Amino acid sequence: MSPDARSLLFREAPDEGRGAAPRLKAAVIGAGMLGLDLAERLNASPLLTCTLVAGRESSISALRRAAQLGCDVSAEGVKAVTRADVDVVFDATTAEAHPAHWAALATSGVVLVDLTPSSGGSMVAPTVNGSRAETNRHLSLVSCAGQAVLPVLDEVAKHSTVDDVEVVTTVASASVGPATRDNLDEYIATTEYAVQRLTGATRAKVMSTISPALPAPAFRAQITVAACEIKAGPLVKGIEAAACEVRGFAPGYEISSLSVDHGLIRATVTVTARGHRLPPFAGNIEIINAAAVVLAERHAVARGRRTQS
Amino acid sequence: MSSDTTERVTVHDPTLRDGQHAVRHQLDAAQLRAYAEAANAAGIPVVEVGHGNGLGASSRQIGQARLDDATMLVTVREALLDARMGVFMVPGWGTGKDIRRAADLGADVVRIAAHCTEGNVTRRHLGLVRELGLEAQAVLLMSHMTDAGRLAEECARAVGYGAQAVGIMDSAGHYLPGDVAERIGAISEAVDVPVIFHGHNNLSMAVANSVAAVEAGARVIDACARGFGAGAGNTQLEVLVAVLHKMGHPTGIDLRGVLHAADVAQEQLMDQQPAIDSVSLVSGLAGVFSGFKPRVLAAAGAAGVDPLEVFAELGRRQVVAGQEDLIDEVTRVVKAAL
Repeated sequence: MSPDARSLLFREAPDEGRGAAPRLKAAVIGAGMLGLDLAERLNASPLLTCTLVAGRESSISALRRAAQLGCDVSAEGVKAVTRADVDVVFDATTAEAHPAHWAALATSGVVLVDLTPSSGGSMVAPTVNGSRAETNRHLSLVSCAGQAVLPVLDEVAKHSTVDDVEVVTTVASASVGPATRDNLDEYIATTEYAVQRLTGATRAKVMSTISPALPAPAFRAQITVAACEIKAGPLVKGIEAAACEVRGFAPGYEISSLSVDHGLIRATVTVTARGHRLPPFAGNIEIINAAAVVLAERHAVARGRRTQS
Repeated sequence: MSSDTTERVTVHDPTLRDGQHAVRHQLDAAQLRAYAEAANAAGIPVVEVGHGNGLGASSRQIGQARLDDATMLVTVREALLDARMGVFMVPGWGTGKDIRRAADLGADVVRIAAHCTEGNVTRRHLGLVRELGLEAQAVLLMSHMTDAGRLAEECARAVGYGAQAVGIMDSAGHYLPGDVAERIGAISEAVDVPVIFHGHNNLSMAVANSVAAVEAGARVIDACARGFGAGAGNTQLEVLVAVLHKMGHPTGIDLRGVLHAADVAQEQLMDQQPAIDSVSLVSGLAGVFSGFKPRVLAAAGAAGVDPLEVFAELGRRQVVAGQEDLIDEVTRVVKAAL
């Protein structure tokens, strides 16, 4: 990625587009933990505005909270979205529901940003291949684990030959909603697929533990990579730089330990939530939602440029 | 709740699964075969096999097993002429794919486990087990971390998902008999399926806790030959069988046969019989998963710190199985505080 393209990922980048184009209208499907936080983030963006949150009958109380944020709300799910005038749609439902949402929206011209662990869209992480957001209309965010580890693994793949990768996440019980709990198999399969695609690993193993501890621990991802031809110096520098880039949109992203020893690279990523109303331990929600918004902003900037030219 | 002392108690034997923690998941096919044959001959109704943390759990994080899941299941299946074969799976470590493969390889009883308050992650997997026509059981790990009411609620929910037996594990060996009686009593009142108890011996309470569980209504009790398991070990199988018989509860297990199986376990599976050393005692008091012991000893040894301090700090952080990556970090914290 060129330094110029990279700079687009940061908060100052959207200012370039301010005034050039009106804020893009966004809808969120799903009124769970992700959906409500997304609506808030969208309204805080200079380039986007959340005009609709569409949930189900069973999510009435969450929809009421979304209405308080100034969004239109509907209990009709994707149906309401197909009738609305929006540019970007965020899917914060389930892996099973997602394919039907894409089918309903594919011909409408909207950009669909998928936060479920469904693997249908173009897999994207802002600092790794964020330029895909400029032209691609179906983006998959992989998973919160994917968003936490892909920036590190991208550097690992640049500075070594990867054999196998293991990713183990610990997430606080209170930060894992019912959809994610139902989708653990898809979360694992999709994250493993993304890790393998990015690194060329012969084996990728992803595990996740939901911690019942109180006070709740911060979101954590332990990465262990068996690799050869490791260029340790550039690798460590590269990972530090990647983390710094991620902090451009998720300020609580940290590499809390990093070691290279006998062909094993170990890195621990922790993410604390800093923005909005999330409790600090909910870094899993912060990293995927912040990534989704920054990608949509990038799309908005690209669209603004196309309109201008 | 039932305290009828003539009711049958099903002894569920995870020697070849939970015992793996004591040998870093290194059991080979000859060991699995020898014990499974002896357990089968003793009339043990269910023999559970696998990596210590269950299907799909072999990993750098938790420990890489000598044999893959399929090889373990095929080996034990061949040896179990009468006994049913059990497997264990924690959503997040294994997936539905692992369950389907276990079904293909002849598993009869599939236990889906979750940490104490996280039972709703088992919904789809319990449904899958039923769909495959196997017996579905649900167990709550690290159950001491929450109260009796919540455990009963989680167990009732699991029955709604399709579980045909539900219960709790004392993963850290933290309970006294009164704690067990309260929890099993609450669960027994909340569900109409057999209730499971799985004990660990850190406070030398495993058999006593199992008795308390049976008296409070539990009808499936886990136990391992010679107590084979990490640290202080599990409820000792042959002792439990003798005690249940003395109480009047039939088990269908032949005492001579189970004594022979225990000899086989001692001679062929373990380096030494589990014992309550200081580290195991402290880990039980701290409420830390016993399976962490080998890793804690290694990390504390390398850093030159007291493993008891490491366990105490892990206990303060309320770590659960699957968080082995915290052991090194906590060891560093303990060292820095010296």
